[in-house]
Amino acid sequence: MKKIGLFMFGYILPDKGEMKIKEYELFRAYYCGVCKSMGKSFGPLCRFALNYDSVFLGMLLSSINKESVSLKKEPCIANPLKRKWVVKNSNSVDFSADINIILTYYKFKDDWTDEKSYLAKLGQIVISPGYKRALNCSKEAESHIKKSLEKLHALESQRCSSMDIAADPFGELIKGIISIGCNWDNDKKKEAVEWLGYNIGKWIYIIDAFDDIEKDIEKNSYNPLLLQYMYKDEEVNEFKNRIRDEVRFNLIHTLAQAASAFELLDMNNKSIIENILYLGMDKKTKSVLEGRSCNKDEKSL
Amino acid sequence: MRNPYEVLGIREGASVDEIKRAYKELVKKYHPDQYRNNPLSELAEEKLKEINQAYDYLMKQYEKSGSQYRNQSSSYGSNSGYGNDTSLYSQIRMNIMNGNIQAAETLLNRVTMKDAEWHYLRGLIFMRKGWYNEAVNSINTAVNMDPSNMEYRDALNRIAYANNRYQAYGYDRRYSAGGPDLCTMCQCLICSDCCCECMGGDLINCI
Repeated sequence: MKKIGLFMFGYILPDKGEMKIKEYELFRAYYCGVCKSMGKSFGPLCRFALNYDSVFLGMLLSSINKESVSLKKEPCIANPLKRKWVVKNSNSVDFSADINIILTYYKFKDDWTDEKSYLAKLGQIVISPGYKRALNCSKEAESHIKKSLEKLHALESQRCSSMDIAADPFGELIKGIISIGCNWDNDKKKEAVEWLGYNIGKWIYIIDAFDDIEKDIEKNSYNPLLLQYMYKDEEVNEFKNRIRDEVRFNLIHTLAQAASAFELLDMNNKSIIENILYLGMDKKTKSVLEGRSCNKDEKSL
Repeated sequence: MRNPYEVLGIREGASVDEIKRAYKELVKKYHPDQYRNNPLSELAEEKLKEINQAYDYLMKQYEKSGSQYRNQSSSYGSNSGYGNDTSLYSQIRMNIMNGNIQAAETLLNRVTMKDAEWHYLRGLIFMRKGWYNEAVNSINTAVNMDPSNMEYRDALNRIAYANNRYQAYGYDRRYSAGGPDLCTMCQCLICSDCCCECMGGDLINCI
């Protein structure tokens, strides 16, 4: 498993069909907002690192912090003729862009040390000035990410055979990032936000582990599920069938816990976040478990 | 106090029925059972208190006798007492309830006899940490060791129930928001067909 790549995958999506048009437009505006923020702070090349998980992070933080954002119509490099709504003046969106760059940097670094992939080295070089700039803005976040990733690596080299224990550092990573990105006015709320973050991180980790089963068997790399359920040269699908129900139970319970924390929070854009937590992530859980995660039908937003 | 209508998520000037309906839904949502073995139980309790207050306030405003709900609501909140454990186990339970998970864990590790209760408490600690797989396995062990204990079974059922609730909520949001469901549509069609036939026409010629 490439743990660091987790956050870059983009598992966290709304269920577009169930959104109102205005919700969809706003979500898109956040998407463009994070993208533009990355371009502005770190140079246009960094914008390729954009992914849906950091859009969710930016939007969640902005909603919890109850930012009054402004929307502006702007043209875009990817589509210069069409002007699109962009979220402006949002600290949370800028913060999320920083986090995205930091995580991307670590991903490249990891790929280079593990696989000696030249593409990764190139990526690392390209992103390195941006990384340094992000570091200045979010020193606290960077050291938290670094610490969590070290724990993750340690468990990996110990070949940890429990999905709960293996997923713990990643839950802590997301929990910490969200906690750092929030403006606190109420300690009680902090607990709920952190519980939300922990469970989201955990969900990402486990769903990615399931998604990677085939690849990890092939490459003989570490995957906590293979160890926990003692994979022994069986047919991949047989193995998946054997563990599917239990993994599903855990993923759904993680989401149920995240949702229980969400219900206690007072925030903006509740309906969009609700859509993501109750519908989008549930749908993703189903599609990954049934092995349709790379479905061609799944269109980007 | 926040605007009570806002707390209950209804428009201002909603009818008594609407208030009652919203209140019932919210009580279900934030009921302590939903947040048992969950670090946010206190927060949920506060939320419930706020909901109760808002409801009481509105009911008073309407000068209707909504007291049946009030009485009911006052019984929510406090957890049931535990008894007849060895003192160490009750200490551990206290720690878990107060959220001192580390203290509970340290105490638990001191116990040498790993009986059903031990596995159960270990499961509760795992729940609090968010380690659901370990938690379910531990509580399952407890149930197998002491199949007659309803508390252990209840804990397992609650975890499963939380999953059902989560999915049911998503399902409701998907299929019941707004538009008519299939049944209503059929009814409409059949009614329209009857009407047409009364007037000598026919909408669906096979009925």
